[in-house]
Amino acid sequence: MKLIEIYFEFFKIGAILLGGGYVIFPILKSELVEKKNWITLDELTEYFALSQSLPGIIAVNTALFVGNKCRKFIGSIFALAGVITAPVIAIILIANILNLLVNSKSVQGILWGVSIGIVVLLINSVRDIWKTSIIDKFTFLIFIAVVVLDLKFSKISPAHIVIAALIIGIIRGYFVSRSLKREAKEEAENDLS
Amino acid sequence: MIYLNLIKEFFITGLFAFGGGYSTVPFLAHISDVYHWYSQSELTHMLAIAAITPGPVGINVATYAGVKTAGILGALCATFGEVLPAIIMVNLIAGVCAKYKENVYFKSIIYVLKPVSCALLTIPVISMIRDNVNNIFAAVILMCLLIYSFKSKKSPLFYFVISGMAGLIYTLCF
Repeated sequence: MKLIEIYFEFFKIGAILLGGGYVIFPILKSELVEKKNWITLDELTEYFALSQSLPGIIAVNTALFVGNKCRKFIGSIFALAGVITAPVIAIILIANILNLLVNSKSVQGILWGVSIGIVVLLINSVRDIWKTSIIDKFTFLIFIAVVVLDLKFSKISPAHIVIAALIIGIIRGYFVSRSLKREAKEEAENDLS
Repeated sequence: MIYLNLIKEFFITGLFAFGGGYSTVPFLAHISDVYHWYSQSELTHMLAIAAITPGPVGINVATYAGVKTAGILGALCATFGEVLPAIIMVNLIAGVCAKYKENVYFKSIIYVLKPVSCALLTIPVISMIRDNVNNIFAAVILMCLLIYSFKSKKSPLFYFVISGMAGLIYTLCF
């Protein structure tokens, strides 16, 4: 497929995407798997799952994977450029208009009201992540530790907390893999005797 | 140099914000604390606008913060910074990706990271409640919408229309 085709396909996806990354899956499925046949549903599911476990924006990660699958590195760049064109232009236009409007009292009232709507969405987002992430005592402890740490040292960068979490994850991975190996060894010995 | 700072800060955001969607919010709140490019209440406005404009929220907010800070070039710098880590990582991983998923270390890192991103998002939510829910009227609206959202899933637009109208009515009447 042509690069320009990749660009316009993802431009379309970026333009119709509204309200958060999870909406992108059904859109990608109907566009890329069913209409264009660029990738299979299995590949899309794989890319999407992987995009969720990588840092950054899920829609952007997925677009990069699909672009890479189609035309390697240059394909991924065109897919990425496509998916961000519409939102970037829309926001640049809106930001300028909003700056003019924000001095009016009614616009301020609306924005104040909408911020309550945002709080509702964010609480729901916390609730959704909580359901899949706080699954035992250890994960609950991590949650509490991070909240306490963050409230106590308000200037601490979230990046530092994430780096600490990565290190803890690797250390824990080491112990898990060691105990897995030991189990496998014991099993092998039991089989022998 | 403001453009380099924008690229740097949003690069860090793109590199360390795990979990998609609103996981960039704690990073954006931290940027506001350190650089004062935008205030906490402007951040809330940005999130509202990001949620009702096309495209992923992360891109919208980066663009908005950039345009607010340093015009159109600033918008491009912030957005570029935010997607740069993904460009590098995805192109490195693509092709060998299937092997990673079952890796013990990979699974363990995700296991630790998920509660961390949940906690990181909780903090700015608390301060947003403190800043914006400053009277009984707001508290009632918040509780009603919250209970409703637990019971049925509606698009973000629904909540913004209701809460925006409520805000407008309150400001005009009191």
